[in-house]
Amino acid sequence: MSLVDVAVAVQISLTYFTIIYLTGLGGLYSERSGIVNIGLEGLMIIGTVTGAAGARFFADAAPDGLGWGAWSVAIGLLFGAFCGALFALVHAAATVTFRVDHIVSGVVINLVAIGLARFLSATFFDGQATQSNPGGPHLPILNVPLLSDLPAQVGRAFSGLSPVVVFAALLVFPVWYSLYRTRWGLRLRSCGENPEAARSLGVRVSAYRYEGVMLSGALAGLSGAFLAVEEIGNWREGQTLGLGFISLAALILSNWNPVRLLFFAWLFGFAKAIPLRLDDAPLINLLPPQFINMIPYVVTIVAIAGFVGKVRPPAAAGRAYEGGSAI
Amino acid sequence: MATVTAAPEQAAPRIRSDRLERIAGQALALLASLLIALLLGAVLIVAYGESPAQVYGAIWEFSFGSVSNFGYVLAIATPLIFSALAVAVCFKGGLFNIGVEGQYLVAMVAAAWAALNLDFLPGGLHVVGVLVVASLGGMIWAAVPGVLKVKTGAHEVVTTIMMNGIAVSFLAWAVNFPLKAQEIPAGQNVDLRTDVFPDSALVGDIGTTFGVSRGAHLSWLLLLAIAASIVVWFLLRRTRLGYEARAVGSSPGSARAGGISIGGTQIKLFLISGALAGLVGMQQILADRGYLGLNYVAVLGFTGIAVAFLGQNNPIGIIFAAILWAVLSRGEVALQIETEVPREFVIILQGILILSVVITYQIAKRRLAARQLQRAGAVGSLEDSAAAEDIEGLAKEDR
Repeated sequence: MSLVDVAVAVQISLTYFTIIYLTGLGGLYSERSGIVNIGLEGLMIIGTVTGAAGARFFADAAPDGLGWGAWSVAIGLLFGAFCGALFALVHAAATVTFRVDHIVSGVVINLVAIGLARFLSATFFDGQATQSNPGGPHLPILNVPLLSDLPAQVGRAFSGLSPVVVFAALLVFPVWYSLYRTRWGLRLRSCGENPEAARSLGVRVSAYRYEGVMLSGALAGLSGAFLAVEEIGNWREGQTLGLGFISLAALILSNWNPVRLLFFAWLFGFAKAIPLRLDDAPLINLLPPQFINMIPYVVTIVAIAGFVGKVRPPAAAGRAYEGGSAI
Repeated sequence: MATVTAAPEQAAPRIRSDRLERIAGQALALLASLLIALLLGAVLIVAYGESPAQVYGAIWEFSFGSVSNFGYVLAIATPLIFSALAVAVCFKGGLFNIGVEGQYLVAMVAAAWAALNLDFLPGGLHVVGVLVVASLGGMIWAAVPGVLKVKTGAHEVVTTIMMNGIAVSFLAWAVNFPLKAQEIPAGQNVDLRTDVFPDSALVGDIGTTFGVSRGAHLSWLLLLAIAASIVVWFLLRRTRLGYEARAVGSSPGSARAGGISIGGTQIKLFLISGALAGLVGMQQILADRGYLGLNYVAVLGFTGIAVAFLGQNNPIGIIFAAILWAVLSRGEVALQIETEVPREFVIILQGILILSVVITYQIAKRRLAARQLQRAGAVGSLEDSAAAEDIEGLAKEDR
């Protein structure tokens, strides 16, 4: 193991960070509005397949000279986010309007997403149910100014990154501002803490919860599209690899805080990168790679059991709210 | 219990009508969801330029057209029954075990180990030993969230999700290292898997006796699944543990007041659930394939949640729900052979079905509760304290 390996591991971890952070932010908006969302994995899956389809459609339909390229990737990312939000509407309708148990609905979302992805794939990609053609284009790479010039090859960690990585990292500012410095954010959070009180102050709880859940769909969809279109270059069944659940874990450990989520998303991303690049490091070389992959889950169990620190979800998250729409 | 409030001759018919109403409401909700799914499905089929009657006819034919076809359906239903039972047991106690997924993966590893190492057991005892070890594996994996819930208050949904993630890696490790196949036939390139199990570890075929083709792999695990349903029904309806489970599930406060150990009940439920979950993977490794490979059939645990909902967590209803789900799954083959509609259409049908079931049940439940509350109000029995009502409700269910 050398310093270069560490730098490359950090570079890889930043890709995983992007996926986990985007999806985790999605979960954050949903749960802060009071709707538990364990369907993040399913929303990501929809993002992967529709993202790849969006890029393909654009490439086919665009005038000469555009075709496969940065534009098709961008369209794919946007389409994945859009379809993720659309699919999240199912979770919102079930939990907010019909007051189905949030966990039940989330499980159903994950289950349906797997089948829906196959169906969409077979429809979009000429009957191929489990993958699209590989070899898609990527966005132009980016070197982070200053950081990428660090000496002794350390700069490699911050060179050759996808612009989406930088976008995800910078997203912490608008997200933090929207939650803590705008009226909308205050109201959204109040729906997650005490919907009855929010309603008595004239906040339309159902509307905020729909918004929270659909934002989670958009962000998880974007994350999935990033994975399929920008990172891999095509959609493949099972490529999300449980990262939606790892995002959920990071979200819990962050105490539903966007700034702390930054750290945990990177930490779990780094854990993902270890077996890929640092498998010969001391201590780590004693463990089979599969055990490294368990780290995020084990850490979360230890934390949720209260052995280290204390995690506190939004008070009303998961609770059915009786006001508003009537059945 | 609480017999003072209502005269017996008045109480009896009301209880029956309440219960009847509930069952009728559930049946109606299920029927409505099935209709919604079939109707929306028909729209999709027409969009593909095919006739719905023909497509649904093909699905029906491939499930009920011959003994062999029905055998295939039952083989698909077998693991789903175990999985849904595991979910239902916990659900009765107000616990959400979405960890069945991980529990059956770990159990498959345990069973694979037992199949390869317990071959000294005489005769039919080997396969019994394998099943016992599988159940134990599921129990151990389920015990962790159970104990954490009781001792630390960690929510079982979060812990079981994380245990699922660990289980996936655990299985991958087991197949890559300790259980990796040693006897790979020369010149053959096989996927990562264990050695093929000895015959004594496999479950016997029962399908051929009834004329089901051997390819269906219909085994006596189906009979075990049905027996398990009956045992679970008895456990939940006719035993002390079942009573305590329902008390804890419907009203923990009054259960505690009634002297029930909530934590003890929850751990017992998790262990039973884990034991059932342990049997989910047996159909695929002991009947279908005879080894454990990395290309195992996944998501059976999550599917079990859907099936449990379809069967309204009723052990007997679950058998039929599993068969319904299996009919649809079997329909994939029908679509591929008989129609131009992509086979994945069936998965959409299942998705629409489970979504509408979840929503219509919820609506039915609320309607029913509102009506019964209204009626109770008219009779004037609302003066009873909430706790007394809860216990009374349980007593009613028991009769």
